[in-house]
Amino acid sequence: MTQSDEEDDYMNMVFEDAPKGPTHETALQRAARKRKEGEARARQKTKAEREAEAEEARETALATALPETNKGFKMMAKFGFKQGDTLGKSENARKEPIQVSIKEGRSGIGVESEKKRKLREAWDEAARAAKRSKEEEGDYLEERKQHLKEKKMERDLDSAQRTAERLSGQEDEDKGGQPKEEKQLKDVNVLWRIRARRREEKQRDLQQKKELDNSLTSRLPTLANDEDEEDDDSKVALGRDLNPFYTSLETELEPEDPELADFEGLPVAERLHEVLVFLREKYKYCLYCGYQYPDAAMEGCPGLTEEDHD
Amino acid sequence: MATKREHTEESTSATKRVKMENGNGKLDSANNPYLAHWNDDKTASADALADFRRHATTAEQASAAEDGPLNPFTGRSLSNRYMGILKKRRELPVHKQRDEFLKLYQENQILVFVGETGSGKTTQIPQFVLFDDMPHKSAQMVACTQPRRVAAMSVAQRVAEEMDVELGEEVGYSIRFEDKTGPNTMLKYMTDGMLLREAMHDNNLTRYSTIILDEAHERTLATDILMGLLKEVVLRRKDLKLIIMSATLDATKFQKYFHNAPLLAVPGRTHPVEIFYTPAPERDYVEAALRTVLQIHATEDEGDILLFLTGEEEIEDACRKINLEAQDLIREGGAGPLVVYPLYGTLPPAQQQKIFSPAPPPTQPGGRPGRKCIVSTNIAETSLTIDGIVYVVDPGFSKQKVYNPRIRVESLLVSPISKASAQQRAGRAGRTRPGKCFRLYTEEAFKKELIEQTYPEVLRSNLASTVLELKKLGVEDLVHFDLMDPPAPETLMRALEELNYLACLDDEGELTTLGSLASQFPLDPALAVMLIVSPEFYCSNEILSLTALLSVPQIFVRPANNRKRADEMKDLFAHPDGDHLTMLNVYHAFKSEEAQANPKQWCHDHFLSYRALQQADNVRMQLKRIMEREELELMSTPFDNKKYYENIRRALVAGFFMQVAKREGNGKTYTTVKDDQSVLLHPSTVLGQDSEWVVYNEFVLTTKNYIRTVTSVKPEWLLDIAPNYYDIQSFKKGEIKTALQRVATKVQRKEAEKGKR
Repeated sequence: MTQSDEEDDYMNMVFEDAPKGPTHETALQRAARKRKEGEARARQKTKAEREAEAEEARETALATALPETNKGFKMMAKFGFKQGDTLGKSENARKEPIQVSIKEGRSGIGVESEKKRKLREAWDEAARAAKRSKEEEGDYLEERKQHLKEKKMERDLDSAQRTAERLSGQEDEDKGGQPKEEKQLKDVNVLWRIRARRREEKQRDLQQKKELDNSLTSRLPTLANDEDEEDDDSKVALGRDLNPFYTSLETELEPEDPELADFEGLPVAERLHEVLVFLREKYKYCLYCGYQYPDAAMEGCPGLTEEDHD
Repeated sequence: MATKREHTEESTSATKRVKMENGNGKLDSANNPYLAHWNDDKTASADALADFRRHATTAEQASAAEDGPLNPFTGRSLSNRYMGILKKRRELPVHKQRDEFLKLYQENQILVFVGETGSGKTTQIPQFVLFDDMPHKSAQMVACTQPRRVAAMSVAQRVAEEMDVELGEEVGYSIRFEDKTGPNTMLKYMTDGMLLREAMHDNNLTRYSTIILDEAHERTLATDILMGLLKEVVLRRKDLKLIIMSATLDATKFQKYFHNAPLLAVPGRTHPVEIFYTPAPERDYVEAALRTVLQIHATEDEGDILLFLTGEEEIEDACRKINLEAQDLIREGGAGPLVVYPLYGTLPPAQQQKIFSPAPPPTQPGGRPGRKCIVSTNIAETSLTIDGIVYVVDPGFSKQKVYNPRIRVESLLVSPISKASAQQRAGRAGRTRPGKCFRLYTEEAFKKELIEQTYPEVLRSNLASTVLELKKLGVEDLVHFDLMDPPAPETLMRALEELNYLACLDDEGELTTLGSLASQFPLDPALAVMLIVSPEFYCSNEILSLTALLSVPQIFVRPANNRKRADEMKDLFAHPDGDHLTMLNVYHAFKSEEAQANPKQWCHDHFLSYRALQQADNVRMQLKRIMEREELELMSTPFDNKKYYENIRRALVAGFFMQVAKREGNGKTYTTVKDDQSVLLHPSTVLGQDSEWVVYNEFVLTTKNYIRTVTSVKPEWLLDIAPNYYDIQSFKKGEIKTALQRVATKVQRKEAEKGKR
């Protein structure tokens, strides 16, 4: 990850092809440098800086072994001591002094390691999240693409269904059959039945709206005889005429259509596929060519799907 | 088998010697008035111990002798109190194994004895030895070493009572700067350091017939060195017996070290302890500890609490907080009364004694029982036994000494304890009945983060003083000296180098005259050298006082609730040139007539530790005696001489030239010479003026690096007094080298000018 970041670090301020400055500094430059250095030296270090420096100096010194030039080393060498040897006669004597570790604050045992563990976990988690977000990013694009594709397929399906309906209507007319409007919903081919269904629903909505409008007008205050002008609801409520009640109930009832439900439950791609196949087989029509071929060979059409037409 | 034969031979020779002495005694006492006291002693003690054959006695015989009616060692009749104690002594776990012990003791030269705290080993084993070894018959003694002075004193006191003798007579003790023994002493409790010092004058320790190293598991520096030494001595002295006593069961390490010596283990009187861990690490261990203590007090059954913390300040603070919170608990929650006692090394003995007082009674009859809570450093871990503790709270830290030869820092740092230490702490809860131990860390942390054993002191100490002692003991090859846990080679390297710069060792590593003299003082080599050379600076009286002051605990008292006043008082004594001179001013004031009229009150009024000053006075006396013995002149520069303080500062440089720091620019930071460590002056310093160069007594490592007890010096003195160390060529390029060069040039110019005139 870091590797690739370094590769295309567009924030990099090093201009490799920048012209190199003069190799010798001029008197002015030197004076400027000296001044800067002097300022840096004279500046009072902040407390934090001093503490950090002290700690660093300490850690460095703690990590540095005494050199062989140490006078004590020479005295020990007299008794055969060599660099890397241990003292005494036991085999597992220590070579290095015990580590000096300074405890800060009052945190209990295990807090430090717990902190480290948590830090490591957080780090791992961040790494995972970064990886995941990258994956998700890919997913999103993919999904978006899929979504668009589906949308397109839905549009294609719609036009394919329309075409199929049109062609089948033409066929029916040619045969001298019933016009589509009079056809019972269940007699419509399931491949485009949804269109007929939608139309019917729309019709019904319009109908209801009209009825509502009518009933509203009827409620407007009039001076006419109340007895005859009662609306359906009143009639129902008064128990004089129950007919409107039943009819409205009937019209509101959705007729069960498992066949349609099954078909509509299929993914859009499959539905499209079926309609396309139907169009080709029944009417030698290709949606993407937009042309009804004269024979079953459909010469000139590259294939069933849109991709074939690319 | 061979060893057995050797022993029988020895015992016969010993008995022979005894017989001869007896014979002589009888013969001479009649006509030699000078030996009349022999006769008295012998006839008196002969009653009980006459038939005892050295290294062939039994527990039965000893018991009979113990029963009296006369004291087998003094011949005086035994008191009722003795009888009472004797009954209790015989209930101690060690007593059951007296025969077993005697058998192993008689058959072997070296024996490892393991007895948990409470088994009675420290008090009983030396007495068992007395009845079998009878050192008085060969004018020898039995020595029993203790890592701590207080333990040596209190155990000697106890054993003197058990034996119905006067402390300092048959039973005595010897600790640094205090010797309470006499010509009749046959059992001597002493610090391990004291025995080591004695070995310097008597390399084979011929005064002792048996040496017992007690609390060997504590692995103090002196015990470790003694073990290395005695391992060699037992080869030279076949008649010397050695017993290593340890409280922990990892005694196999001791066995292995002493050529597979036999082991005898005595169970302690302990009850099971249930251990609880926290589910997650604690963010603040002190906070967690206080919470735990209060929770125990509110919810757990009767029983006292022992809480381990790291240092004086932390402990005092915790005590205050527990007290406050407990008041609330009592008032609101109806909890019983709770008394809190602090416990740490520098606490006055009278206050230390308070921890043994019983828990408070319920506030009203029939109310909830009271409880005591002891907040202690790790001195309550092994050395002190407090009965009644049922709950132990262990945050898992202690202050441990750390030494690193690379930056030459010896400091007390708060560090995690070892597993062994944690077990020891838990064990404290099971002394009287089954207890509970609350560890303020997770079980996983216990397993993964704690080291197995605490590092022995020899790995955590500056060895300069030890090396000097070993050289004096005649150990030539320090590289191959057989220590149980040898330190890193660099530690020895640094020690040798420091001693060379102090001129105690020559370039070949041989002891110099100065080194030999320095080893006579029970002091750090730097202090000893400073003291020895002080006559050259006409201020040995003052340096003697200063050395004593630097060898005792902090003399300034600064109570948390009265810091301002304490600081004001300290300012009365302040000397602008530094803390050493300030301490000297305090001492002189303390010795003035005005102060000595009522020294305790005077100290109290001036926020000074009476105990520390008194101790310093005592140490001074002891050191003075050594100086007189070594014919070191005691002198002072007249006080009105303007060189009075300068001479003292110069003498200070003669000992502490390796502990010098130079200020960086005009800031507050100093850099230590040669090691280049960035340090700050400790806030307690009185050094007010701008001092470019300072000597310091201590490099303290906390989250910041501090130097403590500092006095300003002149760089010219450094070049003049310690030219070897201040060899400018050997310095790394940097500010210090440049500064020294400048000084050297100035000095040369001055001398040249002098020469012209």
